[in-house]
Amino acid sequence: MKPISSSRPVLLVLSLVALVSLPFWAPDEYKIHLATLIAAYWVLIGGLNLAVGYTGLLSIGHVGLFAIGAYAFAILAGTHDVHPYVALAAAGGIGGLCGLLLGLPSLRLPGFYFAMATMAFGMIVGELSLAFDGLTGGGAGISVPAFPAPFDKPATVFWLVLSLAAIVTVMTWNVARLMFGRSLVALRDSEVAAAAVGIPFYRTKLAVYSFSGVTAGVGGAVFASLQTYITPETFVFDLGMFFFICIIIGGRGSILGPLLGTIALTALPEVAAPLAKLGQFFYGIVLLLVVLLVPEGIGSVFHLFRKQPAKTKHVVKPELELLSTALRKGAAR
Amino acid sequence: MNARENTLRKDVSAALPAHVSKAAAAALSARDVTRSFGAVKAVDSVSLQLRPGEIHGLIGPNGSGKTTMLNLLCGFYPVTSGNIAIGSRDVTAATVQQRSAAGIARTFQKPRLLNSLSVLDNAMLGGWNSTRSGFLAAALATPRARRENADIRARAEEILCGVGLREVLDRPAGNLDHAEQRFLEIARSLVAQPSFLLLDEPAGGLTEHEIAQLAAVVGTVRNAGIGVLLVEHHTDFVFKICDRVTTLNLGATIKHGTPDEVRNDPEVIAVYLGA
Amino acid sequence: MFAVLMTGVAMGCLYAAAGLAYNVMYSTSKVLSVTTGHIFMLSGVFGAYFMTILGLPAWLAFAGAVAVGMTFGMVTELVAVRRILARSDEHLWLLSTLALGTIVAQSVALWWGTEPRPFPRLFAQDSASGVADQKYWLPIVAVLVLMAALECFYRKTLFGKVFLAVAEDPFAARARGIATSRVRAASYAIAGAMGGVAGFAAGQLTFANFALGHMLTLSGFIAVAVGGLGSNIGALVGGISLGLLTAITSYYFGGEFQQTIAVGLLMVFLLLKPEGLFGNQKVRHV
Repeated sequence: MKPISSSRPVLLVLSLVALVSLPFWAPDEYKIHLATLIAAYWVLIGGLNLAVGYTGLLSIGHVGLFAIGAYAFAILAGTHDVHPYVALAAAGGIGGLCGLLLGLPSLRLPGFYFAMATMAFGMIVGELSLAFDGLTGGGAGISVPAFPAPFDKPATVFWLVLSLAAIVTVMTWNVARLMFGRSLVALRDSEVAAAAVGIPFYRTKLAVYSFSGVTAGVGGAVFASLQTYITPETFVFDLGMFFFICIIIGGRGSILGPLLGTIALTALPEVAAPLAKLGQFFYGIVLLLVVLLVPEGIGSVFHLFRKQPAKTKHVVKPELELLSTALRKGAAR
Repeated sequence: MNARENTLRKDVSAALPAHVSKAAAAALSARDVTRSFGAVKAVDSVSLQLRPGEIHGLIGPNGSGKTTMLNLLCGFYPVTSGNIAIGSRDVTAATVQQRSAAGIARTFQKPRLLNSLSVLDNAMLGGWNSTRSGFLAAALATPRARRENADIRARAEEILCGVGLREVLDRPAGNLDHAEQRFLEIARSLVAQPSFLLLDEPAGGLTEHEIAQLAAVVGTVRNAGIGVLLVEHHTDFVFKICDRVTTLNLGATIKHGTPDEVRNDPEVIAVYLGA
Repeated sequence: MFAVLMTGVAMGCLYAAAGLAYNVMYSTSKVLSVTTGHIFMLSGVFGAYFMTILGLPAWLAFAGAVAVGMTFGMVTELVAVRRILARSDEHLWLLSTLALGTIVAQSVALWWGTEPRPFPRLFAQDSASGVADQKYWLPIVAVLVLMAALECFYRKTLFGKVFLAVAEDPFAARARGIATSRVRAASYAIAGAMGGVAGFAAGQLTFANFALGHMLTLSGFIAVAVGGLGSNIGALVGGISLGLLTAITSYYFGGEFQQTIAVGLLMVFLLLKPEGLFGNQKVRHV
């Protein structure tokens, strides 16, 4: 799969420069905070993208893992005074473990069943965070510590979260362009072909889903720190839908698409106040329109502007000498 | 009777039809394979042997069980009775993935491609079995993961050019026409470095010229030592390139032999070929 | 304690009704629609609206609620299912029905409010009627009537037999000249009507609440997962088991672990018996 950047390195460099220098040119602190929030969402969504966009695992309840990461961080770093960096890593680990535990029974099931299982998981996490109020503060919620210096200012915490987002992006980009990424797309688009070339379904899905649990945990932790206070209300089903929609409208099988989708859907309600009021309703409409009209995602629209070779018929021209050599090179079984 | 027990009995060879030889090292063999759906026997006690470096045709009228037999060999359906082996290794209970790792590759009647990926990416998929690096290695882009990727890419490119798709390596697979898609599936199977290539009606929908190209490619595959099973309706094509032919009717074998023997067999003519 | 059991059975019947709706829609389209639960929610909300705001008599409000349900069923088929089925991508219908369900739930939240609002009495009855209270009996009777009606429909009427044919083998049905797309649209309308009936009947138990949609989508799904997709008896057994289980655990452990218990039940079944108790569908990947 051709990396998007290979055709436009200059654009990529410029974007990176703009991104890193954002605290300097942003109009106010609130905008920096918004950018940090987008980066925090992307930590989760970037990882979830591999599971949803590439593998087709419809984890609509992923917000549950996000909540687990958030609460883990809040409880460890806040209540138990664990060092925030350790708590952050722990949140990722716990998120990954819970993702694995959720995936073990659920990933053997067909699509709708799996989706419902994740939805139910999200609801359970909500329920348990209310129930175990000694730990989580129940309905009243729990306060979340900020990171220590030097990451206690808007600009520096932005860079911290941006770094985490960048790591997730690079990791997912690596997976996407190497053989593992192809196996994910095969699981999504043709399980029959995937089986025929030897791809193990369950093991592969578990690996990618656990990874998405780790990123959800880390994302949840930084999100919680940014919010400074979390309650079970923060992690409603609708938030999970939001993550999901960012990926779908961005386009499956792409990294840039969902990234742009995340930026757009987070920033849009800020820019257009009426949209903010409509909230989930707006997201639902967008999702429906995308699914019906542009199922490949809005990102695919960009492809239309690229030069498309004409769909002419090519005559298949075997080069038998070359084929013969290539086949004989194959290792004997 | 338990399928496993069948392999262990030494005297089983005495019960085999004459055309299935006993000592067949590294051949893909099916012995008395039956597949029932309720009371219906889609495949009825069929034995056949696919030897390396041989093209074996499997023909018969619609509903004769050809594709079912292919699916049984690959593991997409479990057998009701009988056994399947590669050399002396019994694979009757092996999964599709395990058989793929053991050297069986196949194409489908309707090509199963990843339409959003390029032709090259699709072909590279066939190299899955030669990868050892897992998720973490891919995420961290370890040298081994990158090397495996590069090796498979090189092999896929060679084979794609070999089957004739040099011009369309970067096209999305969904944009190919029918013939190109068929050849792409064959290329993907070959990237897997199989010992056996099972083709499910590959000539379907191809022009005369394209069938000739297909014949050339399949011949080259055979010459490289791969055993090819050719399930087909185009009997001319089958008789021209196959070394041996098995004819099925209503799930059972009615004739096995060289193309000439089969083509001239009265029962085959009556049931399938016509006067 | 009896009140707890009655609540469990009554809610269980509502879950069973959602399961029935799943079965009907699935049989002709092989789609499990996320909008299933929202049919019942709409019926309850509109029923309350018709009676409390517009002041309509109960029977008229009932007819209106059923009409709303039926319309929503048809809208689901038209908007979220029909176009999607033409493409071979099987994930898309989950997304489209999910989107539609969200749109509907959020619209109701915006219009009706996010607080559950009361659903009025349908028949004059003393509110201290205990176990005999209509809020328990209405859903139970409704589901039993719906099941009987479905049975009659499938066995006794020609159209019902056509349904079964399409459900059994759509290709063969089409080959016989049956317009499978019309049958599908009709089945969604029927599921919608069923949701209208049961949602209205259960209104006093659930209140008119926009959040009921997702909850019933999940609960109805648990009912068919436990009982077996495609089996109406299974949906009834599954639904009532779920209802009783959640009611009893709520009674003993407080309502805090309701969802957890319910999903625990689901997971046990999906692991041990994925096809459910009475299911004949094999749950497999390929």
